[in-house]
Amino acid sequence: METLAILLLATAFLLTRTSRLATAVHILLAQSAVVAAACAVAGWQAGETHMFVAALLTVVVKAGLIPYALLRLVRLLRREREVNPVIGANMTSLAAVGAMVLAYGLIEHALPAVISRDAVATAVALVLIGLLLIITRRQAIMQIVGLITMENGLYLLGLSTTRGLPLIIELGIFFDVLVAVTVMVILAFRLKRSFQTTDTSILKRLKG
Amino acid sequence: MMYELTLIALGLPLATAAASLAARRAGLVKVLNIAGSLLTCGAAFALTAGVLRDGPFAYKWVYLDALSGLLLVVVGLLTFTATLFSLSYMDEEVAEGRVRPGLLPRYYALLQLFAFTMLAVLTVENLGLMWVGVEATTLASTLLVAFYFNRPALEAAWKYVMVCNVGILFALLGTILLYYAQLSAGDGGAALSLAALAGASGRLDPFLVKLAFVFILIGYGTKAGLAPMHTWLPDAHSQAPSPVSGLLSGALLSCALYVLIRNLGVVTAVLGGGFAQAGLLLFGLLSVAVAVPFMLVQHDIKRLLAYSSVEHVGIVSFGLGIGTPLALYGAAFHILNHAVAKSALFYLAGIISQRYGTKQVMRIRGLLAAMPATGAMFLTAVLAIVGTPPLNVFFSKFAIVAAAFAAGRPVLGALLLLLLAGVFAGMMYYTTRMVFGAAPAGAAAGRTGACGLAAVALSLLWVAGTGLYLPPWLDGLLTKAAAQIFAATGGL
Repeated sequence: METLAILLLATAFLLTRTSRLATAVHILLAQSAVVAAACAVAGWQAGETHMFVAALLTVVVKAGLIPYALLRLVRLLRREREVNPVIGANMTSLAAVGAMVLAYGLIEHALPAVISRDAVATAVALVLIGLLLIITRRQAIMQIVGLITMENGLYLLGLSTTRGLPLIIELGIFFDVLVAVTVMVILAFRLKRSFQTTDTSILKRLKG
Repeated sequence: MMYELTLIALGLPLATAAASLAARRAGLVKVLNIAGSLLTCGAAFALTAGVLRDGPFAYKWVYLDALSGLLLVVVGLLTFTATLFSLSYMDEEVAEGRVRPGLLPRYYALLQLFAFTMLAVLTVENLGLMWVGVEATTLASTLLVAFYFNRPALEAAWKYVMVCNVGILFALLGTILLYYAQLSAGDGGAALSLAALAGASGRLDPFLVKLAFVFILIGYGTKAGLAPMHTWLPDAHSQAPSPVSGLLSGALLSCALYVLIRNLGVVTAVLGGGFAQAGLLLFGLLSVAVAVPFMLVQHDIKRLLAYSSVEHVGIVSFGLGIGTPLALYGAAFHILNHAVAKSALFYLAGIISQRYGTKQVMRIRGLLAAMPATGAMFLTAVLAIVGTPPLNVFFSKFAIVAAAFAAGRPVLGALLLLLLAGVFAGMMYYTTRMVFGAAPAGAAAGRTGACGLAAVALSLLWVAGTGLYLPPWLDGLLTKAAAQIFAATGGL
């Protein structure tokens, strides 16, 4: 479990470094695969079959369908990359490290009784880093990647505190995530067609 | 019987959506949709009647009480008026060349899907499933916001889906924390079930619940359009097709408030009122305050109405924060009144912008002269929304403000009144400019479809009718809903 937590933090950290969209999606794929592995390990330790179903769903949805859809979109965006993020890669990495420290600090204070401290702290760090990516990155794809990172963090949080939500709710969440990414890919595709770019910093006509 | 009826109410919009996609022919699609929406509305009202007759209903994953009944009335009624209004509005859009005729089935299917997701939120018993439903409302409505697929619509839709998704993930974090609190309390009941959480309330860890509530308030507050998380709202509400704007503003914001109230019940049972009350009062007043300057200086008629929605959500939140039975009655009544009046206003804004060919307030003149019926209805609806007696919005606003003074919070009450005066000034200034005076030559050519006018007239009849005479069943429903919130929250 500790190894998996370190791997997850590494993927999140790498996400703050890359400016290539395809690389970001591949890192996201790896991250989701690790989350699925964590889910399977936790399920094996707890001896609960429904967690294996959840792990399988994670593989299919978050390591399969979502990266597939994103990569198809990325292929259309050959010349797009994260050129001018709100804060640069170095500062983002620094902020990500700060997020990890903050996550551990929060867990010490807020949930001292929790069993798997590392997993929970990793989960909170993933949520924070995902949020950081959404706020600081201008490329639509990078924002989607940030959103899935947040979602992965929340999933891990549920896994490590409560052994996952009941399967019916979990199924609903998976379905929502899948539809959300589909909707966002459609929008990003249209952005490319209407604005010739998926850099969302051009979206500032509506105000007041 | 109630269970089957719930399944019917949920199945009807889904079936209508599927049928619309299959039918392809515009005439048939329209007939199918108006019939489907009328039946859905009927089923929703029947569920409410059942709750009024037999009290709360709980079976499997379904839970219905007076509060869900009230919201079912809102969503049912608005689904019907929005579909009715769409018939003539979308025809006009097709005639003007803004929408390709082939896209109509997709529009109606998305509209029905949107209605389905809202009804699902209102009928489930479980905070986890409720979250799934709220997320689904965002996804169904995003493609409606983006429906024109032009630049401003894409911008609005992107902001809408990103901001609301991040917000809703915070709500999920809060929900997971609640579940963790439930498990830590050694509660063997069904996960995140309202009944199980209420039963375990004495054993839940207060600190965890407090932490959960912070995230839940921010998360569902984003969906409800509470300031400062409201930034997506004016864009989305102004860029969507007008019938959808009406649904987003009247029905969807109300559904988000409903989920917030459900969570509030769980949280206050553990923490007592003070903490949640402070949050609701703060966000409520802030929402009204943030809306005022934007309404005083506004150039777009639909953005004016959207900021008015932020203001009204703030008023409801304020009423919930005051938390006395009178304030809660006012809040429940205000959800209903705002939904009907504001959706009518968005429909009217749709008619006006189609006929004048602009949404710019400054270019709209002489409504009464150019189209007397629409102009008169627009004036009435604006008078209603700013709170003029004897229209119903006045009574709910009055109840909330009066409750604030009666609860010993005169400063907050006075502050709210002051802000409402600002809103009144902004709305009336622009409305008088638009309604009176001579119409520019050649403005408002063409005719407005009968279905569109009928949808607005129906909403305004409701607004005026329930203002002049509140039918006993509705009064009973509101009283029961308020009593239920009061019981759940322990009066804050």
